[in-house]
Amino acid sequence: MTAVASPHAEAAGPATVKQVRLKPRRYWLFAVPALVLIAAVIVFPWLFTVFMSLNDWKVGGGIDFVWLQNYTRLFADDRFLESIWRTFFFTVMAVALPILLGVAAALVFHREFPWRGLLRTIFVMPMMATPVAVALVWTMMFHPQLGVLNYLLSLFGLPPSLWVYSPNTVIPTLVLVEVWHWTPLVMLIVLGGLAGLPQDPYDSATIDGATDWQMFRYITLPLLLPYIMIALVIRTIDALKVFDTIFVITQGGPGTASETLNIFLYLQAFQFYNLGYASAVVVIFFIIIVALSLLLLYVRQRTKWNA
Amino acid sequence: MAGIERSSPVRRRTLAGSAGFALSLFMLVSPAVLVFLWMISLSLKNELDNTSFPPVFVPNPPTFENFIDVFAKNNFLLYFWNSVLVTGGAVLIGLLVGVPAGYGIARAKAAKTAVLILIARMTPALSYLIPLFLLFQWMGLVGTITALIITHLVITIPIIVWIMIGYFEGIPQELEDAAYVDGATLWQSFRYIAMPLARPGMVVAAILAFIFSWNNFVFSIVLGGKNSRTLPSAVYNSLTFEQISWGPLAAAALLVTLPVLVLTVVAQREIVAGLSAGGLKDG
Amino acid sequence: MTNPIWRPSRRDFARSATALGAAGLFAPALIREANAQSTFNWKRFDGAKIDVMLVKNPRSDLLQAHEKEFTALTGIQVSSEQIPEQQQRQKAMIEFSSGRPSFDVTMLALHVQKRLAAKGKWLEDLRPYLADASLTSPDFDYADFAAGAVGFGKQADGAVDTLPHFIDFWMLYYNKEMFAQKGVEYPKSIDEMVTAAQKLNDPSKGIAGFVSRGLKNANVPVWTAYLLGQGMETVSTTGQLQTDGPEAIWAGEIYKRLNRDFAPPGTIGFNWNECQTTFMQGRAAMWLDGIGFATPLEDPSRSRIVGKVGYGVMPAGPKAHHAGLFGDGLGITRSSTKKQAAWLYMQFMCNKGNQLAMLKAGAGAPGRSSALSNPEAATGSRFSKEYFECLATSGRIARAGLPQIIPVTEFRDTFGVALTNTLSGADVATELKKATEVFKPVLEKSELG
Repeated sequence: MTAVASPHAEAAGPATVKQVRLKPRRYWLFAVPALVLIAAVIVFPWLFTVFMSLNDWKVGGGIDFVWLQNYTRLFADDRFLESIWRTFFFTVMAVALPILLGVAAALVFHREFPWRGLLRTIFVMPMMATPVAVALVWTMMFHPQLGVLNYLLSLFGLPPSLWVYSPNTVIPTLVLVEVWHWTPLVMLIVLGGLAGLPQDPYDSATIDGATDWQMFRYITLPLLLPYIMIALVIRTIDALKVFDTIFVITQGGPGTASETLNIFLYLQAFQFYNLGYASAVVVIFFIIIVALSLLLLYVRQRTKWNA
Repeated sequence: MAGIERSSPVRRRTLAGSAGFALSLFMLVSPAVLVFLWMISLSLKNELDNTSFPPVFVPNPPTFENFIDVFAKNNFLLYFWNSVLVTGGAVLIGLLVGVPAGYGIARAKAAKTAVLILIARMTPALSYLIPLFLLFQWMGLVGTITALIITHLVITIPIIVWIMIGYFEGIPQELEDAAYVDGATLWQSFRYIAMPLARPGMVVAAILAFIFSWNNFVFSIVLGGKNSRTLPSAVYNSLTFEQISWGPLAAAALLVTLPVLVLTVVAQREIVAGLSAGGLKDG
Repeated sequence: MTNPIWRPSRRDFARSATALGAAGLFAPALIREANAQSTFNWKRFDGAKIDVMLVKNPRSDLLQAHEKEFTALTGIQVSSEQIPEQQQRQKAMIEFSSGRPSFDVTMLALHVQKRLAAKGKWLEDLRPYLADASLTSPDFDYADFAAGAVGFGKQADGAVDTLPHFIDFWMLYYNKEMFAQKGVEYPKSIDEMVTAAQKLNDPSKGIAGFVSRGLKNANVPVWTAYLLGQGMETVSTTGQLQTDGPEAIWAGEIYKRLNRDFAPPGTIGFNWNECQTTFMQGRAAMWLDGIGFATPLEDPSRSRIVGKVGYGVMPAGPKAHHAGLFGDGLGITRSSTKKQAAWLYMQFMCNKGNQLAMLKAGAGAPGRSSALSNPEAATGSRFSKEYFECLATSGRIARAGLPQIIPVTEFRDTFGVALTNTLSGADVATELKKATEVFKPVLEKSELG
């Protein structure tokens, strides 16, 4: 910390604001400790992964350099390609639904009403709950014969569902868990945005006789867009990477019906011990995440300029 | 202020309108209530009630056997303490380096550096496990709390930096400029002007970092040893072959997540206020 | 010695020694054992401390319960941990591959990681230890381990790298009450089992005729249990896959029929625990799985079918009659620095008394013949005689339920997916053919170098 404590010895004696502004202040030094620490943890894993992705490792044997064979194999591996599409499908739903619901929830919680604090706290709780612990409870709730959810459905006269016990319903069911967990995060981010909205546009709109919907559509939504974009980026990264929930509830099953990229990676690395192959998966996985995030950040810049 | 009614304060709200509002509120809150209540219900019932259909909702009489079972069969207090050490350590170090970093990045408008730190968040956690295991083994750290604290930094630092950037951007620079003119060093203007103003942000950042670090389980499963295992992975470990039972499992799940839920209740005002005040504002 | 009534003179002593010697002629084993007990030095490694990695199960609970006694006998401190199966295998793999495992003794799933252990040179060959009289107590009696178990614990090159301490047979749990109600006899053959399932199946009452694992990977032993009835394993002795021939397809069809037509909805995602819950709640008439589940089924605080559980030997197939065989061994880490102390631990934990205790506790079948054939087990146990008979019979017809190859997990995954797909309606022959094609290169590669 001492290096950061006195990053410079300049600006001794009186100086005008203008002069000070001209001298570069080395703010970036403040970021050095954090960057060093992060690098210390992630650089070695990264180098290792990239190196291993070019090799083939065998139990009890050495490693063979195989160039890009792992990658070419991957792109011919149906299970890998299917897992990519499955991941996208899951991500689209696990991003869109929490955002829709989260914005709606934020509009609700933005109003004043009795017990707002308490209800808001209850609403936020799923986001804080430990995913592994909650996933175990969900598993019990999904049990096709003894689970409480099928009982609740029967109360409403609905037929029982197989939930995660059928290839057709497993992904939507897992999305449901994800929505339950992460809608509050979107709500909190958007709520922050709502709190910062200016009052003037609404005043003039009210004078012009605009409806609630018109005000939402033409004033609130555009102003909230930057916040929604933040939520979109965070949700996208997290939905692509989701592991705990799927791992605990289905481990990718039934069959491969919920085998997302991360579960495929887990199988290759920790079940089949194909370290080289798994490393190649990581590299591709990472490229996908970064590319999507950058795309979203870019879109966000655009929306900001337009807004 | 946050409380001001935006949607046409002039218009009278109809009865139907408020009923609809109440209904939507109910729809929003009930899934959370359902899951947590069911979790509590499972943890307080015996095994026969837990697996009966139609389900038994209210434990009658409630039994604490499941909780006793959890404490008897697992070294729960050790795991709890491990979780406290790992999460506490990672959050403290995270704050120590993350708050200045957030300040530096905000003031230097170094968006690229911010992205660099976000990379740690983007990398799938699974990909750290094997290389870090080898690295820690080489350093003799496998199975230690230190190893877990170091790995959990990958979770805490990005959250703290990300939230602090937004916070510091919301603090006007004029005050610091004035101090700077008076001869203060950059460190002094950070330490005595910006940081005190950003204290609420630090609280939110610390709370969120704490929660996400507490909830993590993949790191501890591979990198934790028998004396350094954290709570979530310990609960997962209590799934036993041949002996699965819902009651103790629900009890264990509840115990794991209880600390963070309590924290949420206690700090809900700070969390909401903190985020509303610009914590996640575009930066 | 202070007894005033009988103060032995030297002559008395000599006389009684002769008498003892004479008695020795009639009971030599007894004496040898008594002598051995007194001469074998258990305290040789007093003060040592060993680390043990166990799989989470009732057997490990027993091992941990015996630790105190072991420490009192040897002075060796034991630090052990139970880890759930899946993580334990993964931890073993990572730690052994890194070259410096953190434990001296590990439990090894012989049906999954045996070949891996040989290839990776994980475990110490125990033969020199067994031969060394200063290290192996004469009453240990390795020959007491059942031949099948010994073969299972041995590597192809003859190395004895594990003690086969637990043997798991697949069998059929059935609900006697349901069988009686419908007047169904216990099936003698796999075909009869299908007929019985059909008769017992009553979806309107929420009762399934049959339940077994549908979850990929976990479901493979169910299929191989049928295949064994054709006198065949999935991989031939020459290393060829026999997974898409007519026998394998027949077994797959049985699997599909039973798990699709007579099993409860959602079986496709069932592992043993969901199956157990279903059967235990009286919602299935038969359940095919490993033999170690008697304890929960007979536990009145959890099970609704206490006293109604029948323990049946796996029904015969068209060509052969086998029960799927699985098992765990204990082995010593090759890089351990406390191998001899670790060996004392294994010796003690696998001794006759502890193996018998495991059987009595209903924790599973031990590897030792003396324990398996001990009548005391059945009389002193809360489990029915039928359970022990089932165990003994299964032991006689046991045959490996999984192939003895290196990539067992990948095998189970690939064929597990194929089997699961058949439950959604896919054609058995097509799925098995596809899986065989995918797995063939994996197997070939694993056998190279």
